Amino acid sequence: MFATKVGVYGLPVRPGDTRGLWQVELRVTVRGDGRQGSVSALLPGPGGGQLVLDERSSADRLSFSIRSRDGVRVGVWQGRLEGVHEIYYQFRVQSGPARVALPEGPQPAPPADVAKAYGRATHEFPSGAPEARDALERLALPGPAAPLDRVRRVFAFVTHEVATTGTAGSDALLTLAQREGSPRGKARLLVTLLRTAGVPARVVRGLALRELAAPDEKVWCEAWIGGGWLPLSPVDGFFGERPADLVALGDGGRELVEATGASAVGYRLRSLRERLRPEEVALLMEPESPILASLSLYKLPVDTQSALRALLLFPLGALLVAFWRNLIGVPTYGTFMPLLVAFALRGFSLGAGLLLVAFVLALGVATRLALERLRLLMVPRLSIMLCVVVLSVAALALAGDAVGVRELFAGVLFPIVILTMLVERFTISVAEEGWREALVPLGWSLLVAVVIYPVFRSARAEHLMFSFPELTFAVIGGLVWIGAYTGYRVSDVLRFRALGAAAIAGERP
Amino acid sequence: MWGRLRRAGVLGINGRNALYTLRWNPRRLYPTVDDKLATKRLCEDAGIPAPRLLAVARYHHELRRLVEELDEMDSFVLKPARGAMGNGIVVVVGHRGGRFVRSGGRELTREGLLYHAAGIISGLYSLAGHSDVAMVEERLEAHPALAALCTEGVADVRVIVYRGYPVMSMTRLPTAASGGRANLHQGAIGAGIDLATGTTQRAILRGQAVEANPDTGAPIVGRAIPEWERVLETAVRATDRTGLGYVGADVVVDAARGPMILEMNARPGLGIQLANGAGLLHRLEAVDDVADLPRPLHERIKLGREIAERTRGAA
Repeated sequence: MFATKVGVYGLPVRPGDTRGLWQVELRVTVRGDGRQGSVSALLPGPGGGQLVLDERSSADRLSFSIRSRDGVRVGVWQGRLEGVHEIYYQFRVQSGPARVALPEGPQPAPPADVAKAYGRATHEFPSGAPEARDALERLALPGPAAPLDRVRRVFAFVTHEVATTGTAGSDALLTLAQREGSPRGKARLLVTLLRTAGVPARVVRGLALRELAAPDEKVWCEAWIGGGWLPLSPVDGFFGERPADLVALGDGGRELVEATGASAVGYRLRSLRERLRPEEVALLMEPESPILASLSLYKLPVDTQSALRALLLFPLGALLVAFWRNLIGVPTYGTFMPLLVAFALRGFSLGAGLLLVAFVLALGVATRLALERLRLLMVPRLSIMLCVVVLSVAALALAGDAVGVRELFAGVLFPIVILTMLVERFTISVAEEGWREALVPLGWSLLVAVVIYPVFRSARAEHLMFSFPELTFAVIGGLVWIGAYTGYRVSDVLRFRALGAAAIAGERP
Repeated sequence: MWGRLRRAGVLGINGRNALYTLRWNPRRLYPTVDDKLATKRLCEDAGIPAPRLLAVARYHHELRRLVEELDEMDSFVLKPARGAMGNGIVVVVGHRGGRFVRSGGRELTREGLLYHAAGIISGLYSLAGHSDVAMVEERLEAHPALAALCTEGVADVRVIVYRGYPVMSMTRLPTAASGGRANLHQGAIGAGIDLATGTTQRAILRGQAVEANPDTGAPIVGRAIPEWERVLETAVRATDRTGLGYVGADVVVDAARGPMILEMNARPGLGIQLANGAGLLHRLEAVDDVADLPRPLHERIKLGREIAERTRGAA
């Protein structure tokens, strides 16, 4: 199967250079009481530095259609809303940094349809209001001969002289009056002021894609200048160049997800960095062979995919553990302890991860020694240690949040809890055999974990195992070989080398 | 180095597990050796001498009564029925002021003993952490010839029995460093015994050759094991009853009652090769050549001793 995929279909064995290629999933949960209703969501469109490669939707008992108006694409799911409906919408997008050539000097007037749609005053953008005019007057904008400088002056004012506060209001004029607004309020104010100054402008909604975390919802603005839309954000501070990993979803006047006829609606976003070039993704998703197509993991929901990406690395790690234990012969605590420690380290740099493990271990051992005096029975005692380990992880998460590394603990919580067992094994070993004998297997466990760590971090290994899950059979083959190896381990050779040397001496009388 | 070890007939861990324990020791028979209560029953049924069982506690609520019973006993050994490597064993040699005196002189309160027994029942020392049984048996008095070799604990004789044939043996002498436990990993001395003569040939401590016990200075090499014939006989009789093909039998020679089965092990350690200066492999292969015919016990012991003589290590 691996050979067919690589030889016949030319699938790549290494991950490609895929900067800015993402897979994004929107999952909407909607509840209804039997009335007709609809759910609509903003979808990504082409242009502005992003390329939508493919999109798919699945929704139980609802029909799906895409409506496009004024360049804004809206997905609509319709039907009778009864009970809970799960709607999935997945797309792959390539999002590079989009730079717009900044026009110098006088520019032609915007086309009539742009001026009509994006230059007029609305309830949301009250351009021409006296407060807006006053503000512009104080800014002393240059003449229409330098439109770029006009935009830049207004942008600088909203960016630097209006504070961004998550809790503040999102009304344009209120934001202007209080010199403080939410990201949305600031975007609305910027558009209002630009329209007042005669520059067509609009608010854009979108997502900032992040690895190992949910995408951030963002709003920014676009101003029509020099025959095109210029991206600018008074919150994130970009002007003329949209950063990579930002995906525009459409008009900022709408909510990302809206529903009618529903009694409750909620949604969640997920993003995943893609390891393949677009044409390769297409090959893996829809291979020419129907058998391969039905077995491709690339079709699964994003959550499942990222779980499987990690899971499929476990056999490789287990192969390494078997190699170290059965061919080298190092003692470790528990068969898979090194594997789980390596998995726990995965989300961190090696140094930070080891520090974290050392911290949890030290705290656990200290607790264990303190508990010794209480003479508790084993299961409750282990559970108390589990509580302490969990609390310490919670404390670390708070500390991480305080210094701004919030993603630190995504996906590593469970294996850290496994460390409780390591603590118990270690302390029993200390009590019975002394620190020296207990530290040796601990050291080896951590060393083997460090050896496995690069496997869990490797984009190449992840790509290989995920795109070609049949390679797991090769791993099984390797394990069968190790399992059938009855020769000496390296540790045997070291331990019995005196006997080997004596045998040689005996043969040469 | 690999080739040299093969020529020396050294048995490695993978070889032992795949070729001997996995092949000759069916998993369903493990409980008879892993559970010391089952071993004791087995010995009793066969009339093989073993230390007397004094008390058993299976549940936490039985512990108060157990400690009360122990108050009445001069000396005893408290151990987990499914313990490994001598872990969790407490040897009490007397009483002082309402406390128990352990071998080595340390004292233990009644509460301390109760907590220890509770740990045993919770499975703290058992092989897989399953709940276990706390058992108390009589403390043996080592034969003076063996007691002279060590100051702490009780020396035992480990005999490897393969398909009913004794193949290798050593005596394990606890030291101060091993805390009175007769386990090579924990710092006990292992002295290889010549199967033919029953005398110690060489000894190792933590993998290094030694001539004398570091605790006492007493020479260890060239010592005769008391009642050697009966030691081998007891070991082979007991392992015959287990149905296992590759077993280590631990025999204690009691001053009054002679050789007794302390316990048996279905995965005996490989350090015995170092203690004897010889590999196991040649002997195991030689036994395979003769073991297909059923033979009476004494003939098997005799053949085992001859094989050991033939394949004696170069050292």
